[in-house]
Amino acid sequence: MSELEAPNLVVAGGSGGSRVLPASVGPMARLATALSNAWYELRKSRTASIGLVMLVLLFSACAATPWIATQNPIKQNYRERLQPPSEQHLLGTDRLGRDIYSRLLWGGRRLVTIALVAVAFGLAIGVPYGVLSGYYGGRVDTVAMRFVDGLLAFPGLLLYLLIVTLAREWKAEGVFNDLILIFALGFAFMPEVARLSRGSVLAEKQKEYVEASRAIGDGSLSIALRQILPNIISPLIVNATVRLGYVILIIAALSFLGLGTPPPTPDWGSDLSSARDYMETAPLIAAFPGLAICYTVLAFNLFGDGLRDILDPRLVER
Amino acid sequence: MLAYIIRRIAQLVPVLLVLTIVVFGFVELLPGNIIDTLIGTEGIDDPEVRKILEKEYGFDQPIYVRYVKWLYRAVQGEFGISLVTRRPVSLELLTGIPATVYLALVGITLSMLIAVPLGTIAAVRRNTAVDYTAQVTSLAGISIPEFWFAILCVLLFSLYLGWLPSSGYISPFDDFWGSLKFLILPAAAVGFRQAAFTTRLTRSSMLDEMSKEYVDTARSLGLSERKVIFKYTLRNAMIPTITISGLQLANLLGGTVVLESIFAWPGIGRAIFEAILQRDYPLVQAGVLVLGVIVVVMNLLVDLTYSYLNPRVKLR
Repeated sequence: MSELEAPNLVVAGGSGGSRVLPASVGPMARLATALSNAWYELRKSRTASIGLVMLVLLFSACAATPWIATQNPIKQNYRERLQPPSEQHLLGTDRLGRDIYSRLLWGGRRLVTIALVAVAFGLAIGVPYGVLSGYYGGRVDTVAMRFVDGLLAFPGLLLYLLIVTLAREWKAEGVFNDLILIFALGFAFMPEVARLSRGSVLAEKQKEYVEASRAIGDGSLSIALRQILPNIISPLIVNATVRLGYVILIIAALSFLGLGTPPPTPDWGSDLSSARDYMETAPLIAAFPGLAICYTVLAFNLFGDGLRDILDPRLVER
Repeated sequence: MLAYIIRRIAQLVPVLLVLTIVVFGFVELLPGNIIDTLIGTEGIDDPEVRKILEKEYGFDQPIYVRYVKWLYRAVQGEFGISLVTRRPVSLELLTGIPATVYLALVGITLSMLIAVPLGTIAAVRRNTAVDYTAQVTSLAGISIPEFWFAILCVLLFSLYLGWLPSSGYISPFDDFWGSLKFLILPAAAVGFRQAAFTTRLTRSSMLDEMSKEYVDTARSLGLSERKVIFKYTLRNAMIPTITISGLQLANLLGGTVVLESIFAWPGIGRAIFEAILQRDYPLVQAGVLVLGVIVVVMNLLVDLTYSYLNPRVKLR
């Protein structure tokens, strides 16, 4: 699906319960109105509402991890290996006697943070790249887009594998390892963002408001970033939301292959991978990290799907 | 059309350039180089020896000269010798490609067989229980990590029920029925996720088609609903489905790394993954390059087919 360039979406703002702004209001009031409009729109889509509730739960759990985690996630206890769920270990213990519940929480906190930063990074480089490329057009555009096409030629996980391998060879540890992972994920998201924003810009740039800005004497850069950008933001939001789910799958897959986070850092992918050896005797250990990944990805997908329905008025009638 | 094809092929040049530069740059960016490895194994660090070796391997030349030379050899299929098996890298890759293509093709076919009818029914019976079931299943399908799905399948069908082997591979040319047993689980894991994508796609493009005016015209002419759907809408709706499936097939060739390693499937993805673990970088380099080229060529073919099937697409 992600290969499809989304059609030029328009924010369906003014319908139904949107409040009309008085002529002069402060930025705070403006924000409050925008939020209440957004909430109103959101409730119309069941998918988006469910996704939002799941996301709120997820983010709360991530934020509250230091307080709701019951045990040290990396403390080993050989006398309590492979325990079933109990009062002390809510979801049982893994092969080294570590508390699975606490590992899930800490792992999720880290995973979600990395995914958010990576997607933000991808947007931060992809949007200006695509907007400028589409706005200037001509030779700049051709060269810029061929570069993007080149990056898109790497199938599946391969681009990540190359970058993560480099990180391993340069012995990037701790936060540096995370930064390289973020770079890889964001960099690989860039082509999609660039294409999407370029496509929207090409459509927007024909419109009259751009003409008007130019007539007033605005410079190209200012038109591109201040006039066009706000108008192409909704397809980008939808795309970024769905991408968050995908990024989480990629991080989990890389750690599952043993190329992500080195142990003992709690990580859903590598926990799942090491649980494979105990699948017959203790299948629950493999179940929990998998369920956690599913929940998270599903939350982002539901929310993204719902947002798409809301933001694309063509689909509303369906 | 011919001019379009030529232009499209010309556009591939910069794409392949980016691909080769990234792949070449990957090995250049590794800490140390092959000289260090060679000297390290010999245990002597003599500046004289180093100089001779550098000359022999061309490291005294500037990087762009080395790139061009590497590219020249790569075009001829010479990727050097695997550091682990000491066999030519091209040979290692060639043995992996058939298994990967086999898995990807069967997976895609399986997904189409499930997804196209399901997506069509969901669109035709919109907002019914069938539609909701299809939507929920496909949403779950794209949210479940494929490696977890694969593990659960192994757990159920191999460990508990004992119906299927948990991993391994037999070439279909050696023993067709025997190879099927090994194929089912990996192909199901590939197909499940693809089917989820394709169901969503088929459903939405069917809905798109069914809202068009020619459908009303056909109905007002008294054609049966069955005829309208099978003769008109489904055909049009299949265009995006087939296009995307073609692109997905290309992507799958490099995207089955995880599944290949779970099921010990001797494909090119697993070859690359094991090469990474064993630090066999010539193999990694060549493998990524070959897969990238395959993807680029497949994308071109899909695009050309698409513009052939749908003449309204502007030939740019």
